[in-house]
Amino acid sequence: MAQKKISIRIDGELVPALEGKTILEVARGAGRRIPSLCHMDGLKDVGACRLCIVALNGGRLVPACTTPVQEGLAVTTNSPEIAAYRRMIVELLLVERNHVCSVCVSNGHCELQSLATSLGVTSVRFRYRYPSLPLDLSQERFVLDHNRCILCSRCIRVCAEVEGAHVWDMMGRGIHSRVISELDQPWGEASTCTNCGKCVQACPTGAMAEKGWAVEEMVKRTAQVAGAAVRKGVSL
Amino acid sequence: MSRIEDIGIFNAMREEGLAKVLPAMPRIAVGMGTCGRGNGAEGVYQALSHAIDRDGLDIRLAAVGCFGACSEEPLVSVWLPGQPLVILRRVQASDVERILNDLSRGRITPDLAWCKIEEWDHITAHLRYGQGFPELPLWSELPFFSGQKKIVLRNCGLIAPDDIDEYIAVGGYQALYKVLIDGKPESVIEQIKASKLRGRGGAGYATGIKWEFLAKAKDDRKYIICNADEGDPGAYMNRNEIESDPHGLLEGMIIGGYVTGASQGIVYVRAEYPLAVHHLARAIDQAREYGILGANILGRPFHFDIEMVEGAGAFVCGEETALIASLEGFSGRPRPRPPYPAQKGLQGKPTNINNVETWYNIAPIVLKGPAWFTEIGSTKSAGTKVFSLVGKVQNTGLVEMPLGTPLTKFVYDIGGGAAAGRTVKAVQTGGPSGGCIPHEMFDTAVDYETLAQLGSIMGSGGMVVMDEDNCMVDIARYFIEFTHSESCGKCVPCRVGLDQALEILNGFTKGTGTAAQLTLLNELGRMIRDTSLCGLGQTAPNPVLTTMRHFRHEFDDHIIAKRCRAGVCHSLALSPCENSCPLHMNIPRFLDLLKEGRADDAFEAVFLDNPLPASTGRVCQHPCDDRCRRQTVDSPVNMREVHRFIADAVLLTDRFEPLAARIAARKKAPTGKSVAVVGAGPAGLTAAFYLALVGHDVTVFENKAEAGGMLRYAIPEYRLPKRVLAQEVELIRRLGVKFQFGAGVGSAITLNELDEGFDAVFLAIGTWKESWVNLPGTELKGVLPALPFLESVATGTNPALGRKMTVIGGGNAAVDSARTAVRMGVDATIVYRRERKDMPAIKEEVDAAEQEGVKFLFLAAPHRIVGDARGNVRALEIAKTRLGQYDSSGRRKPVVTAEIVRLDCDAVVLAVGETVDLDFARASGLTLREAGTFVVDRFTLETSRPNFFAGGDAISGASNVSNAMGFGKKAARKIDERLMGAKRFAGLAGGFQYSMEPPETTSTSPRHRSAELKPAVRVAGEDEVMVGLTDAEAGDESCRCLRCDIRG
Repeated sequence: MAQKKISIRIDGELVPALEGKTILEVARGAGRRIPSLCHMDGLKDVGACRLCIVALNGGRLVPACTTPVQEGLAVTTNSPEIAAYRRMIVELLLVERNHVCSVCVSNGHCELQSLATSLGVTSVRFRYRYPSLPLDLSQERFVLDHNRCILCSRCIRVCAEVEGAHVWDMMGRGIHSRVISELDQPWGEASTCTNCGKCVQACPTGAMAEKGWAVEEMVKRTAQVAGAAVRKGVSL
Repeated sequence: MSRIEDIGIFNAMREEGLAKVLPAMPRIAVGMGTCGRGNGAEGVYQALSHAIDRDGLDIRLAAVGCFGACSEEPLVSVWLPGQPLVILRRVQASDVERILNDLSRGRITPDLAWCKIEEWDHITAHLRYGQGFPELPLWSELPFFSGQKKIVLRNCGLIAPDDIDEYIAVGGYQALYKVLIDGKPESVIEQIKASKLRGRGGAGYATGIKWEFLAKAKDDRKYIICNADEGDPGAYMNRNEIESDPHGLLEGMIIGGYVTGASQGIVYVRAEYPLAVHHLARAIDQAREYGILGANILGRPFHFDIEMVEGAGAFVCGEETALIASLEGFSGRPRPRPPYPAQKGLQGKPTNINNVETWYNIAPIVLKGPAWFTEIGSTKSAGTKVFSLVGKVQNTGLVEMPLGTPLTKFVYDIGGGAAAGRTVKAVQTGGPSGGCIPHEMFDTAVDYETLAQLGSIMGSGGMVVMDEDNCMVDIARYFIEFTHSESCGKCVPCRVGLDQALEILNGFTKGTGTAAQLTLLNELGRMIRDTSLCGLGQTAPNPVLTTMRHFRHEFDDHIIAKRCRAGVCHSLALSPCENSCPLHMNIPRFLDLLKEGRADDAFEAVFLDNPLPASTGRVCQHPCDDRCRRQTVDSPVNMREVHRFIADAVLLTDRFEPLAARIAARKKAPTGKSVAVVGAGPAGLTAAFYLALVGHDVTVFENKAEAGGMLRYAIPEYRLPKRVLAQEVELIRRLGVKFQFGAGVGSAITLNELDEGFDAVFLAIGTWKESWVNLPGTELKGVLPALPFLESVATGTNPALGRKMTVIGGGNAAVDSARTAVRMGVDATIVYRRERKDMPAIKEEVDAAEQEGVKFLFLAAPHRIVGDARGNVRALEIAKTRLGQYDSSGRRKPVVTAEIVRLDCDAVVLAVGETVDLDFARASGLTLREAGTFVVDRFTLETSRPNFFAGGDAISGASNVSNAMGFGKKAARKIDERLMGAKRFAGLAGGFQYSMEPPETTSTSPRHRSAELKPAVRVAGEDEVMVGLTDAEAGDESCRCLRCDIRG
């Protein structure tokens, strides 16, 4: 199906777009920065982290990652209100689990950390929950640390959509949600796991990492996995 | 039983059904919905069935659904051929023999009969039962049903839900037949659009437009879904609808399927509704047997089937995309829209989802036309809506009202208002997704737009009424706890945001919250609302945001004063009685000390909590009685009389001196600070006592000759002997409080002088001006305001009253005036514009007045006072009133009628309320409210002038002794904090060791009451009426306490 060429306004500026693309795709294509966490190029978008919220026609807030562009649409990518909301989302993620950067393998290479920096989150106003969460070391090559998980579900999607294994899924609900392998077996016992490591590379924080790295040493090859996903063409 | 292939068979079926609904013999139908069963309907049904079999009676027995009046369950309807259908209420199995006995004689058991139905509009048919039983009211004449318009509930409680014949008998499946024969789906969609029917699930999207989307979607397979995943706390409309009339739902869905081109319908119903599931499954089977579902429906070339799927009870599955995920076998998590279900729904196919109630409206609209429908309801919201009216109203149940009906109609006319002695505070509409609407806004029309403007939603129709026993902070916390546990966890704002909101609210209810958190909560709430993925998160903050908007003062109470007025938040109160006491007396403590036989300790503990314990022990309005948990066993502990006993046993005996010394010994070291207290009434005396106790130099300025204020000059001797009060004042004086009598502030001494001479000033000037009424004749001789009248009696100058006196008013001053007059040999009548139960006076006082011969005339408003040529009062003319609409106080407003009655009398006492002395207040230069009361900071009692504090009636308007003392106590604490820069009141009244073990037994005795003098003795003199408890009675009364203060 040939996509129709339309144009939309982003922060007042007229931008050409293809019908059917999302606001996030069009905006980033035009060089705009919209923060996101659960979005990864090549994967189906779920609209879970809500960091990419933008204002439609100066009013309603929608996630840029799942909202398709329409002719005549006017999008505001930032405002004091949007910035405050984004900061609050990052604050909430920071208090939800135990994000201790100083002892994290991803320190310095963490998407959550760099978002906090770029959005100016220097302290949090909420109470830290300090949940008691397990560490799964059963896998031969990788480690899963729930303390650093932000439930973005990128690991789940990359495994199901790109690798085709669907080792990961989500159990529980609400604040008790947790990523599980297969039917909550230890990762090392998951027979469907192909050891490909895409989940680890897709993970934006230190929740999934390769074994053998110390603090700050884990640098993820997210772009590489995303590129593969895009080439595979599973998204939308 | 055969398939319906043509109109002949259909009509024959209808006749068969009618023979069941209106048989040639009596018919008894038992309301067997879940609510009826919960109240014993199954036992009633079995007893009826047994008796009918046993005696071989010619009676048709049926099990029907619910008629909506939950508070009157179990309901049984009885019909004798040719007679009206009579509804019996609160029927128990033991009533069955009586009912059958009466029925055999053509009678209806009178004490059970509630109302009758002569004819019923099933919308799809009109049924005439018959006429008769003139003594019974019509159903529509009962307040609960007044104004109700039953469209959705047209069949509920009248036909057997498990019998398709009865549904067909009342016009069921006619609309479907019509649609199929007409064969014009587009015109049906046009009709639905023209009817302005909007989704009844809460969002209110136009149903016709939604259907059009589906009809236009091109696919080999399309679905329609009925959302019956009703999960709001307090809402059960859908359950009752499906339980009572499952075919009504099926008919709506089959029509919907036909006109939108869907081939499959699915009802997603909660598994927690077993009876609804059972009835619906049976209805689907019956419809298939009759050829109404499946292939070639009603003999026409249309194939459609309905499947029922039971949901596992996740609230979020009421959200349409989560519901679809659940139907597909995934966990119930919503996904972003677009694509909308009409484009890509169940299994990726075009799908339409409507709420249960939306489907019930379809058949009536098809048969009666859109114009009929739009005439009901408001302009933008046509038709009716079923609400479950629950909570703190007298009549609860399902009510179906035209949209746009004001809330006051629901709460007061239908619900009957709050229980006696309580007032309604707010209504929560829309369950956890809705908001709280305060009673000041009860004229709000209940429709989609108006509720949305107030930050609430209509939702599926839950309507929870709350009174002053509900804490709005706790309500907000409760709903957030609910949505928090029901959040799916997919998006961050809802998952983590609600968790943090709950954390903050939990802190508020425990007294650990801060003002900064309140601001943060507001910001967090708006963020969750604006950024969440689905409807659950987007609406979850509504209860918090609306309670913060409309009940901000309750949040402030919890955060700043650490108080929960409703007494719900346990961490903030010692016990319910302590929480209700304006002085926050530690009531369980003095009860236990007395119980342990430690009378001196008990006195010391009481006096440190309340420096006028004998006076308040006589005249307090005792709010503690209303809160005492002992009343759930028998009646409340008589706390007021016990502390009177404890106080009398010291103040009026030779134990006075040693105990006065004990209390004086508690006085803290001098602080070197001085405080002036203006007014020696209850507020002033209380403040003076505590300020002196903590070591300040206190001077009380009083323009009268003695201390006590209203206690001394307004409350008559027979209620509070002057010597009792004098002893209390003496004890306060022993602490070093100095009094300057005849020293009116503003005349003898100025505020500026006080400011210069003292470190702080507390203004407790009371309300000494009697309100004047705008009434012809008030200039006549013999017209007396109540306060000057009572004061002149209290100072020994008895005014001449003649032989007959009338008192206008219903408060304590009115009752005191009348009883005082009776003691002067005058015939007294109290005239009050409302009813006896509405009188603000203490109930016991009203009863005592009646015993003493005071006459009452209720529902009477003064019209004019008639005088003679010499200017003396001759009569009072009153206009009879009737009760009209409910006002903002939750009482019905008296409306004056044309009926005038003349009461001959020689004197008229005006007791219509007291106000602040405006001349003084204005001259003070302090900021005032309209009524003349001082504006103060609610938490510190500071006035607009630095170092000046105010309390008592002077800030609240005329109230009562204990409220005034509460202000006095608080003012002393705040003044001390300001002067000393430290919180020194904690532990001030401490140092008592007493049992903190739960009592193994409590006294089983009923409440001990004080003995009273006989009325004939009372009116002959001024002796105190209430003798007080005896030693043994007081001791036993203290053993009745359940010790709510012991926890853990």
